[in-house]
Amino acid sequence: MAISKSAVAALLERISATQPVFVPCKVSGGSKFVEFGEGVVPAFDMQNTKEPPKELFFPATEKMYRWKRHEGELSIEQAALADAPFTVFGVRPCDMASIDRLDQVFLTKGFVDEFYEARRNAATVVAMACPTADRTCFCSSMGVDSGAAPSADVLLTDCGDCYEAAAQTPRGEAAVRAWGDAVSAWAPASAPKRAACTLEVDAEGLAEKLPHLFENDLWEDVAASCLTCGTCTFVCPTCYCFDISQDVRADEGSRFRCWDSCMFADYTQMAGGHNPRARKSARVRQRFMHKLCFFEQRYGTGLCVGCGRCMRECPASVDITRIIERIGEADV
Amino acid sequence: MSKIGIFHGCAHLCEPYVPQVCRVVRIESQTRDVKSIRLQTLDGARPFDVLPGQLGMLSVPPFGECMFAATSFGDDYVEMAVKRVGFVTERIHELGEGDQVGLRGPYGNWFPYESCRGRDMLFVSGGIGLAPVRSFIRHCLDHRDDYGRIDIVYSASSKADLVYLDELTNDWPNRPDTHVHVSVYHGSDDWDGPVSYTAPYLEQVFRDNGLSTENRAVVLCGGPSLFRTCRATLSELGVSPADIITTLEARMKCGVGKCGRCNIGGRFICLDGPVFTEEELASVARDF
Repeated sequence: MAISKSAVAALLERISATQPVFVPCKVSGGSKFVEFGEGVVPAFDMQNTKEPPKELFFPATEKMYRWKRHEGELSIEQAALADAPFTVFGVRPCDMASIDRLDQVFLTKGFVDEFYEARRNAATVVAMACPTADRTCFCSSMGVDSGAAPSADVLLTDCGDCYEAAAQTPRGEAAVRAWGDAVSAWAPASAPKRAACTLEVDAEGLAEKLPHLFENDLWEDVAASCLTCGTCTFVCPTCYCFDISQDVRADEGSRFRCWDSCMFADYTQMAGGHNPRARKSARVRQRFMHKLCFFEQRYGTGLCVGCGRCMRECPASVDITRIIERIGEADV
Repeated sequence: MSKIGIFHGCAHLCEPYVPQVCRVVRIESQTRDVKSIRLQTLDGARPFDVLPGQLGMLSVPPFGECMFAATSFGDDYVEMAVKRVGFVTERIHELGEGDQVGLRGPYGNWFPYESCRGRDMLFVSGGIGLAPVRSFIRHCLDHRDDYGRIDIVYSASSKADLVYLDELTNDWPNRPDTHVHVSVYHGSDDWDGPVSYTAPYLEQVFRDNGLSTENRAVVLCGGPSLFRTCRATLSELGVSPADIITTLEARMKCGVGKCGRCNIGGRFICLDGPVFTEEELASVARDF
């Protein structure tokens, strides 16, 4: 099946008549997934958006419950779940791999996060294989195929004038059926455009090696240039750590969660003064150990998908591929 | 003797993030900065089923919430001991009986009270570290025949900082084959007991009482320096890391291994812990 590129705008119009559809788009100061509507020009030719689609499933802030005190009586009411259907259109394979990681975090290991589950179940994800690569792309080194997104509902592959469309899940099949005549049954005339990653790094065996490098000088070296600004964690499509805080108005208020960062000292600061990661090097080590070792120990896959956003946005040019190389070179 | 086995695969059937409304039914001042607080649901029931060593998140809107180990529990209450060390605990100390708070839990695993059956028990704790250990001590005393000799080594900064002093002096020493050893770091005129840090005192107790490392379980809880020094002492005494049980603490927010901050290696203290053996921890890269 195929969709002519000239028919995509009409297709987005059609989908957005029934449910919100989010597309990659240039916005002031960068690019992100925004709701398609009047004046929104999708940027499907752009490689990775500055902000990943993570926010659509795991918002930067999310209300968990409201509380109220009335004459000494406390009442607590859970916030409504966001379960209205929506479509994300144009997710890159690395970002789809990051959603797989978020699924593991929020939906497995003894307990399901309802807030995430509601959004995830409501989403139809249309992935788009990469016809080009950014200067910081290295997904193939992290086990991601830039031409495939197996867990996406629909995969679109750029074939010049059109996208080849493949429904990959029952939900994807239903979506493609609903797209109607925007999709034609013919196969694309030209071969799919594929791109090789710009950067390559040998990331084999990191999870086995890293526990032996806990006390390595590497972390002090990286920490020397790191500003612990947290930019890497906020643009990372797989970083999922959150804080729980409150919004208070007199005798009522709400508790909400919001993105947090392991780069910040108060992330682990305990009442009473003890902080297991008070040193910058300990926090830097935690970030890379989590990405490349701890997550794999827990869930069986690494937590870096090679999107390259952290090094693209880092004000101090901390380069995760260089760190992976140094881990490979280090003596155990 | 079979190995001490600790359960790490907790699954939570409760609503994990949203607290239930509970009432403070009893407050006791333990020391100048520690209060024990009993909580009950509004209809007079125990807030949740809890096992020795498990955690609960006490929430005091609008100020915030903190994780505490249940120090004891009964048919109709859960009790927590709260040391005043920061903003939220300051507010918890201002609570009065009858006040309503939020509570969610239980979180985490529990002390291996089953696989410790038949062993001699040695409980080592310092300061507020007695609070989580106390739930295990009480379990052993309630099932006295299941365990061998019980020794409780407890230290605090000064006599005024000893928590659960009444139980330490009037209750536990009167139980069969139960021996309580208390020291303080700083002596005072009203203290005629030993003045010693925990680790050297532990060594002295071990030797003076002719305690053996055979068929023994040691339960260890305290601040980072107590952990470090007592671990070294126990190692010198020849106690195997597999026989040392600890309960860890870290800053926590979610309680279910999602929010990220309380990890040691690939494990989360709130979900896989807080109870680990020293043997399990020895192989984990950790920051503390």
